Amino acid sequence: MSETALHLVVRGVSKRFGATTVLDRVDLTIGRGELVTLLGPSGCGKTTLLRLVAGLAQPDQGQIELAGRDITNTPPHRRNVGVVFQNYALFPHLTVAGNVAFGLKVRGAPKAEIDAAVERALSLVKLGHLGGRRISALSGGQQQRVALARAIAVEPDVLLFDEALSALDRKLREEMQVELRRLLQDVKATAIFVTHDQDEALTMSDRVAVMNKGRIEQLAEPRELYARPASLFALNFVGLSTRIPGTVVGGKDGKVEVDTRVGRLSAVGTFQSGSPVVVATRPEQLRLDAAGEANAVSGRVRSVVFQGSRTLIEVDAGAGESLLAELSGRDAAMPRVHDEIRLAWPIAETFAFAAEPHA
Amino acid sequence: MTEVALIAPPVAPSVDRERLTAFGFALPSLIIILGVFALPLLLLLGVSVIGPDGLTLVNYQRLLGTPYYLGVIWNSLRFGLLTTAITFAISYPAAFALARARGALRSLLLATLFLPLAASVIVKAFAWTILLRSDGIVNETLLALGIIEDPIRMIFTETALVVGAVNIFLPFMILPIYANVAQLDARYAEAAATLGASPLVTFFRVIVPLTLPGIIAGVALVFSLSVSAYVVPTLLIGEKYPTLATTIAKAYLLAREPGFGAAAGAVLLVIAIAVVTLSSRLSREPK
Repeated sequence: MSETALHLVVRGVSKRFGATTVLDRVDLTIGRGELVTLLGPSGCGKTTLLRLVAGLAQPDQGQIELAGRDITNTPPHRRNVGVVFQNYALFPHLTVAGNVAFGLKVRGAPKAEIDAAVERALSLVKLGHLGGRRISALSGGQQQRVALARAIAVEPDVLLFDEALSALDRKLREEMQVELRRLLQDVKATAIFVTHDQDEALTMSDRVAVMNKGRIEQLAEPRELYARPASLFALNFVGLSTRIPGTVVGGKDGKVEVDTRVGRLSAVGTFQSGSPVVVATRPEQLRLDAAGEANAVSGRVRSVVFQGSRTLIEVDAGAGESLLAELSGRDAAMPRVHDEIRLAWPIAETFAFAAEPHA
Repeated sequence: MTEVALIAPPVAPSVDRERLTAFGFALPSLIIILGVFALPLLLLLGVSVIGPDGLTLVNYQRLLGTPYYLGVIWNSLRFGLLTTAITFAISYPAAFALARARGALRSLLLATLFLPLAASVIVKAFAWTILLRSDGIVNETLLALGIIEDPIRMIFTETALVVGAVNIFLPFMILPIYANVAQLDARYAEAAATLGASPLVTFFRVIVPLTLPGIIAGVALVFSLSVSAYVVPTLLIGEKYPTLATTIAKAYLLAREPGFGAAAGAVLLVIAIAVVTLSSRLSREPK
């Protein structure tokens, strides 16, 4: 992302509700045409951050810029943002076309222009034939599309999605994720999604901001986020992993040796000796046929879960620790429950994180 | 479901059955409406057009052809419209305040609205006469404070009538609007704002249309209550402001002219029906 394309800049924004700090000096920079997801558990501050950008709430401190304007104190109706709400908030007293036209009407656009924009927006979301319908006569998926068309019709500087897909059933949601991403890329929209659904985050966005307790823990591309989580929280929140706590006993060249209850493991990281850490890796890194410089742990297979293209194997490594391995269908000998097996994985794909007090 | 379909006869009896059940549930209220309302109403209409020499429209001619009685109709309409308009102006913001109040305050406000409904309208109207008469509390207070030197004439004026009526009918306006406003999702206003609507535009284009059902219910209730009110005008203004309701009472109780009273009742009914029909027409969702 080039510095010249800075489109939305959130600088040192904090928000408190009473004694609770919901956002704690958050910085976020989004380029024009970028799709960014705020991902985190409920209460992490992601929705509040979205509302601050929309102008539906005011930050206690910090600054927000959109398309080169300081909008920190601009009321929502002068911000030129588009919001797709969780429950869509479509106006029940207006038709589909009336909803989509609303933003342009209140801007005082000429009727011909409004009609053209409504038609364009509705055909974008493939609802061109339903303009005259009442909102109550639409399915959930159709309402979602109308909400999107309504937000797009005013050509906002940024589109904000507040858990916009969460009300749809799983299959429809997955279809909409792909379709929505393509549509937003087609119209070159800048968008922020708020979600607690990691699949949605990985599918929809160019970059994902993992939020926890009012802060952004990591802002990275989906692939990077998965392969190189910056914290134990980010690791836990995105994708599956094996996690084994231990104590650092030594290390050099950006690697540490960690004593765990299942033996000594090596990991990427820099910690002082004696530090409590959690050693972690992704399930697809674990292999049955161990070779070369690697971490290895033996154990008894506790469960084998067939999921089509992959099979998840949980291994009891003793001492209360377990390993999670993902084996592809091509792996010749698939172990069975109660088999004694030995799993190995590369040190370069082993992370060490500072142990969280309550993790 | 498939097995059932195989056994059951090809026609779908379930629909008829549902209708029958619904009719069964409605039957008691139908009997009451027919027996207690519809039948007496028909009798009333009959009485209004039957004279000593058969069918006649003389009662209606008297009512609609005499300046005095046209004035009576106008009084009723004027009183109803004034009361409804002022009640609405007070109730609409009050309903929003009520919906926004939380916890104990909300309970307290709701109680102050509901409790007066338990008191008879006669008590409430009489309370106003105590407040407003020449030696009433309002005048005594103003005199004691030295703001006025002689008592102001308040009782038996149109102002007193409307003030009292507004007070008495207020709950019937606030409650339906409040029920509507309380259910209004705050996100509608937020969505409107993000779409570029200023607070004022949001109010007129989103909030008012979405609270229209409550407004119409309240307006229809208060108008039909006030246009047909008898106790309130009788106690608060009396003879000099005859309305259809007081005219009906007089026709039956004093003048012994049931035909004329029935005709006045019919006119009142037409006014009420017109308002209710107009309201439901307005509240019906636009195409």
